[in-house]
Amino acid sequence: MNADYLDRYSRGTTVCHRWTVNRKLGLTFGVILTSLLIPVSLWPMQGVLLSLIFIAQTVAEIPLRYLLQRLAGFLPMVGIFALTLWLGQPGGRGGDFALNLLLRSTVSFMAALWLVNVTPFSELLIGLRRWGLPQYCVALLAFMYRYIFVIFDELERMRTARRARSFGRISLARDWGSRGQLLGMLFIRALSRAERIQGAMSARGWDGEVRTLPKTVTTTNS
Amino acid sequence: MHIPDGILDPPVCLVTGGLAAAAFGYSLYRARENLSQRMLPLTGMTASLIFAGQMVNFPLVVAPVSGHLLGGVLAAALLGPWAGSVAMAMVLFVQVALFADGGWTSLGANYLNMGIIGCWGGGAILQLTRSWFKDPVRGLIVGAVWGSWLSVLAGAALFCLEFASSTTVRGYDLRHIFFLMILFHAVIGVGEAIITSLILAFLYRLRPDLLALNPVTSSTQPTRLGSFSGAMLLLALAIAAFLSPFASSHPDGLEAVAESTKVADLSRDTWAIWWEDYKLPRFEGNWEGTGTAIVGIIGTLAVLLLTTILVRLLVRNQSAGVAPLREQA
Repeated sequence: MNADYLDRYSRGTTVCHRWTVNRKLGLTFGVILTSLLIPVSLWPMQGVLLSLIFIAQTVAEIPLRYLLQRLAGFLPMVGIFALTLWLGQPGGRGGDFALNLLLRSTVSFMAALWLVNVTPFSELLIGLRRWGLPQYCVALLAFMYRYIFVIFDELERMRTARRARSFGRISLARDWGSRGQLLGMLFIRALSRAERIQGAMSARGWDGEVRTLPKTVTTTNS
Repeated sequence: MHIPDGILDPPVCLVTGGLAAAAFGYSLYRARENLSQRMLPLTGMTASLIFAGQMVNFPLVVAPVSGHLLGGVLAAALLGPWAGSVAMAMVLFVQVALFADGGWTSLGANYLNMGIIGCWGGGAILQLTRSWFKDPVRGLIVGAVWGSWLSVLAGAALFCLEFASSTTVRGYDLRHIFFLMILFHAVIGVGEAIITSLILAFLYRLRPDLLALNPVTSSTQPTRLGSFSGAMLLLALAIAAFLSPFASSHPDGLEAVAESTKVADLSRDTWAIWWEDYKLPRFEGNWEGTGTAIVGIIGTLAVLLLTTILVRLLVRNQSAGVAPLREQA
């Protein structure tokens, strides 16, 4: 799995990518808060916000296909929630309310999606450290980010092996059992890996400080 | 399960964010007090594990729908309630920052509903149940089942409370949505209970040393008042889940809860009030309320049954004896 599988488009070079973390986070929070504070009666304003976000996404060169894919995963969930709210009102009122909820969450989701795809995770970590998040937490996040990909690879190998061994349909109970075992085995492997890593880090004189480099410095010739 | 941005109002986000930050700070403080620096790789690895573990889909009877692990109780079982809830915070943060899954403003609410409830409450139930059973495996499985189910329900109850406190929903009838929330989460909780107990039983069989590290799953530690009250609080929240459709039919959910607790000592009056307000056979009556109560009863029975079945299955596996991993290798 590629190391940037999760935030594929975050390492671009557009205007949006070159802004500082502070500005990007501030902008996103601003948009989300504005969207939350727009009253129900002014709902067309949400559309204005949405088109502004879409322009920002276009400037950041985030592919439309990717955005639609993420929306297709997001909308059914919130849509069902909004639909239930609407249908749950006696006499069918509450349509405006449900629509507003749907619009607000879509605007916020798109804004968050923009942020994810213009900010590499390492930059976000540096920002968090600068704002005073305890060093232990930043180290944890950095460690977690690093090993997500290793674990994903491990999981993919185990899945492939499982598919290779089991042919055809198995009963639901069997299936759950085998998936439970898969996860259990993944846990054991990963936790022994954690023990090994811990030993290796201690052996190299690890003092608890985890250092992250901004992307401009990570041009090694290895 | 993740609340996206735009569902909760800014004041609610602010309050839940503050509470979540306080809970996170306390967890961090306790985790660092109890554990040395060497727990960092283990905590970080558990966080990425839970993140990756959520990618494994468990198919349901209805084909396209599938469930996955949530992981709060599992994190508590592996790392203890404090480091476990720190790990859950990392999981939720990475989900927002890398996936836009969940929301930035509702991060606090999500952390309370899933991380804190799962690790503190679910962990407390696991610890409490373990101390009741002589057989460690049996205690582990029963505790995992009940801890997971109750924490998922309590999380749903907390969401209902948060949603009802948002000012934009004033004047709207929320019974219907709360009924569906509780119904779905009663089912999701059963899935979570099965997955968690499967994984824990598997871990216990192969690497019991991993589970012996922390107070939640080590059988030697005595139960403390803290974990007892944590478990009771969780139980109360889960019960509140079943009462939420009753409460929310008042114009303001919070006021209604206060009102009904005020008159709780005069239980006959309370029943009289309820009876007057919601005549059951009426068309737009309180079928959600009764429905939720029925879901509660059926759900509890189902989980009891599930506990028995899982204990039978997994304990039998245990005694059938699979050689520990190290001897196999």
